[in-house]
Amino acid sequence: MAKEKTRVKKRWFHREKQLNRSAAGNGLLFFFMAFCGVFMALPLVILINNALKPLDEIFQYPQTIFVKNPTFENFKDLFVVMSDSWVPFSRYIFNTLIITGFGTVGHVVVASLAAYPLAKHKFPGKNILFSIVVLSMMFSYNVTQIPNYMIISYLGINNTYLALILPSWQFGMGLYLMKQFMEQIPDSLMESAKLDGASEFTIFWKIFMPNVKPAWLTLAVLQFQQMWGNTGSMFLRSEKLKPMQFALQQIAGGGAARAGVACAVAFVIALVPITFFLICQSQIIETMTSSGMKE
Amino acid sequence: MKKKKKMTLARRRAITGYLFIMPWLVGFCVYYIKSLFMTIQFSLSNVSVDPKSGYSAAFAGLRNFKYILLEDGKFNKILVTSLRDIVIDVPLVLTFALLMAMLLNQKFIGRTIFRAIFFIPVIMGCDAISDAIAQARQAAVGGISSTSAAITESSASTVNLDYYVALFKDIGLPSSIIDYVVGAVDRIAEVVDLAGVQIVIFIAALQSIPSSLYEVAKIEGATSYETFWKVTFPMVMPHIITCLVYTVVDAFASSEIVQYSYDMIFSSNSYDYGSAMALTSMVVVCLILFIVVAWIQKHTFYYN
Repeated sequence: MAKEKTRVKKRWFHREKQLNRSAAGNGLLFFFMAFCGVFMALPLVILINNALKPLDEIFQYPQTIFVKNPTFENFKDLFVVMSDSWVPFSRYIFNTLIITGFGTVGHVVVASLAAYPLAKHKFPGKNILFSIVVLSMMFSYNVTQIPNYMIISYLGINNTYLALILPSWQFGMGLYLMKQFMEQIPDSLMESAKLDGASEFTIFWKIFMPNVKPAWLTLAVLQFQQMWGNTGSMFLRSEKLKPMQFALQQIAGGGAARAGVACAVAFVIALVPITFFLICQSQIIETMTSSGMKE
Repeated sequence: MKKKKKMTLARRRAITGYLFIMPWLVGFCVYYIKSLFMTIQFSLSNVSVDPKSGYSAAFAGLRNFKYILLEDGKFNKILVTSLRDIVIDVPLVLTFALLMAMLLNQKFIGRTIFRAIFFIPVIMGCDAISDAIAQARQAAVGGISSTSAAITESSASTVNLDYYVALFKDIGLPSSIIDYVVGAVDRIAEVVDLAGVQIVIFIAALQSIPSSLYEVAKIEGATSYETFWKVTFPMVMPHIITCLVYTVVDAFASSEIVQYSYDMIFSSNSYDYGSAMALTSMVVVCLILFIVVAWIQKHTFYYN
């Protein structure tokens, strides 16, 4: 009898092990991720350290990864250079906010609006339209630069914010992403809302958008990153309209004398998208608890 | 009045559908479709610079396509290499991204930081940042001799591998070791770099799986292996297609063939050949993509 008891106990223990990963397995996974993570984080670590290095350490050869005497000298220099730019520097920041903000929000709204009927309605031409979207994603932006420029100047929005903002709303990728996620939402959810008298827009805004929150946050992160990286040098000629990235690149391009400033610039440019990503990521985690879907 | 009543429900719904799409469609037609048509037009004609109207395009039939496919020595070869690279990369990227997403979706200390770390390559790959990094590096190492033209050229690809290699060289490792390791790690680095967005998409997909399914699986006594194949994988399947398309688009945009057509346009100033190249490669990749997606879609499980 005692033997049987131990056997039962052993089996139960074995089972528990399968359900929840063992401590060793967890440790192994953590190690694996840490290994990959170190490799991926290295550029950022060097970026941050470089920004904090005094000039003599930046020019040191061979270079070191970690800073020995951290200093904010580079940032101070950056502020000095920034303060005597041609147009006040706050203007560049304002431009970036406008372009990135409208580009991101507009794209998420327009793409979600368009994705909703593509995912959940039936109408003629739907499949053709969707195929064209996929096709358009293949169309490399680099190769079509000349037609793009001609269209923008034909529309008369050359050298305005619109030249950067409007085309960004129609990137095919966002529509594609939103459509794929909206397709996953059960029809019954839509039908019950309809029975309760909700209009199409209410269904879209109050039911679909909250349920695909992870998707549109992902999209926002992507779009933000893309708009943030846009220097707009192709369409914006007026100095007053140029975004911050352009000004910072000009500052950083000043040769060896500006090496420290250039490191600080790289840090500043990289910092904002990463922060935005972190904020969005924490939001994505919260969605899980708030979506109350029961089939 | 009577006419209004005749409108069927399906018709009304179609109209609402179009209304929702309208803001997107208008811009899409004006901007993207038009540039597509202009590129097609250029690829079919003999483009030359004209001092009065900017350019002149005389219709030349399929001459450009004939040239790039039959006479141009490099095009076919580069196209095949690019396709091969994409075919090798895509399954690796998808597997890696799904694996990473599942790991990052679990609860452990420092999860947010890890997620951010895996997104770093995407952020670093963006033009402004990679330019800034390259500039900072050039200023520190290359000194005055470096020109800004060289910087922009070296940061044209999204995979900033040169930067890593230069980094290790700067630290002082012998170059033979670096070459060997780079050769071996080349693909891996590319895969990891390409997987950033896919990881985020997969995390979002995993988040949208109802937790009740996992509870049921647990109650029924499924092992985690079984849970993966019977719950997670089928539920994520539609998003595998999403990621597949994204990966192909991404890999294609940074592939050699696009770079070659870009060079053709902007270095050799032959817009007609370049357009024809871009179109040909695009059609080939799209054809393959559509076939693969259709095949996967057949085997995909849809929740409703």
